[in-house]
Amino acid sequence: MSSSHDDAPVSPRSQFALTCFEELLESAVADVASECHRIARLGLERGVDAEEEELRAWAARDLPGAEEGGGGGNKGTVDVFGQVHPAVAADVVECMNCGRPVAAGRFAPHLEKCMGKGRKARTKTTRSSTAGRTRNNNGSAASSYSPYSSTGSANRASLPNGITDGGGSGAGEDHSNHIL
Amino acid sequence: MERASINRPPTPNQEDEPQKELSLREIIDVKLVESGEKEKLVELLRERLVECGWRDEMKALCRAYARKKGRSNVTVDDLIHVITPKGRASVPDSVKAELLQRIRSFLLSSSLR
Repeated sequence: MSSSHDDAPVSPRSQFALTCFEELLESAVADVASECHRIARLGLERGVDAEEEELRAWAARDLPGAEEGGGGGNKGTVDVFGQVHPAVAADVVECMNCGRPVAAGRFAPHLEKCMGKGRKARTKTTRSSTAGRTRNNNGSAASSYSPYSSTGSANRASLPNGITDGGGSGAGEDHSNHIL
Repeated sequence: MERASINRPPTPNQEDEPQKELSLREIIDVKLVESGEKEKLVELLRERLVECGWRDEMKALCRAYARKKGRSNVTVDDLIHVITPKGRASVPDSVKAELLQRIRSFLLSSSLR
């Protein structure tokens, strides 16, 4: 039993557990060290001094002949040919759906509206047909979306699920009694 | 009449030679590894150390050291030596207790002294 540095003798089992824990910790430490080493050597870290300067130099430098064509690159980035590009593509393209000239950078959103992507911003035709439908619904009896709403006439008529209507606003409490 | 055999010491018999005894510690260690428990323990420790921010602290230390020494001059050994003292000291007590508990219960369950 090793009692060299402890007052109370440490049981072999506890001693082993400690040693084992230290081993595990060594693994964890080696793990972190290895990863940090990799990051350091590969220069993956943003904001490490020399690299940071380099990046700033790139962003700030004035390119010969690049007179901020079309607003200049927002992020100060430059492509492999040394050209600077505006954030929104400026070329004008003709939409194959509606035939209108559209800016290339705005083309995708334009096409969405142009072709009718989903719920919002539908074409004129769709809008008018839905308007017609909802108007009809409000007048008819079976309006399953709003059984207890304040459209009085619709409620008084028989509800689609056959539940007896306990009256307009107090429908909640009475209704539950009937069910139970 | 027997001819003298070639003069060389007799080959030690394998069975007679005593087996190299594994220390108890080594036996337990092997059990830990073979049962897969060691792997689980390492994973558990890593997870806890991430959760409590220990890993981030160590990474910060490494970053500072790398910046001072110059990125290309850093070795893994350097970093290990940088982290280890602080690392050992800053493991939260709860994490240490949890791991020790698991190790001890493994020892008990595998019915070792």
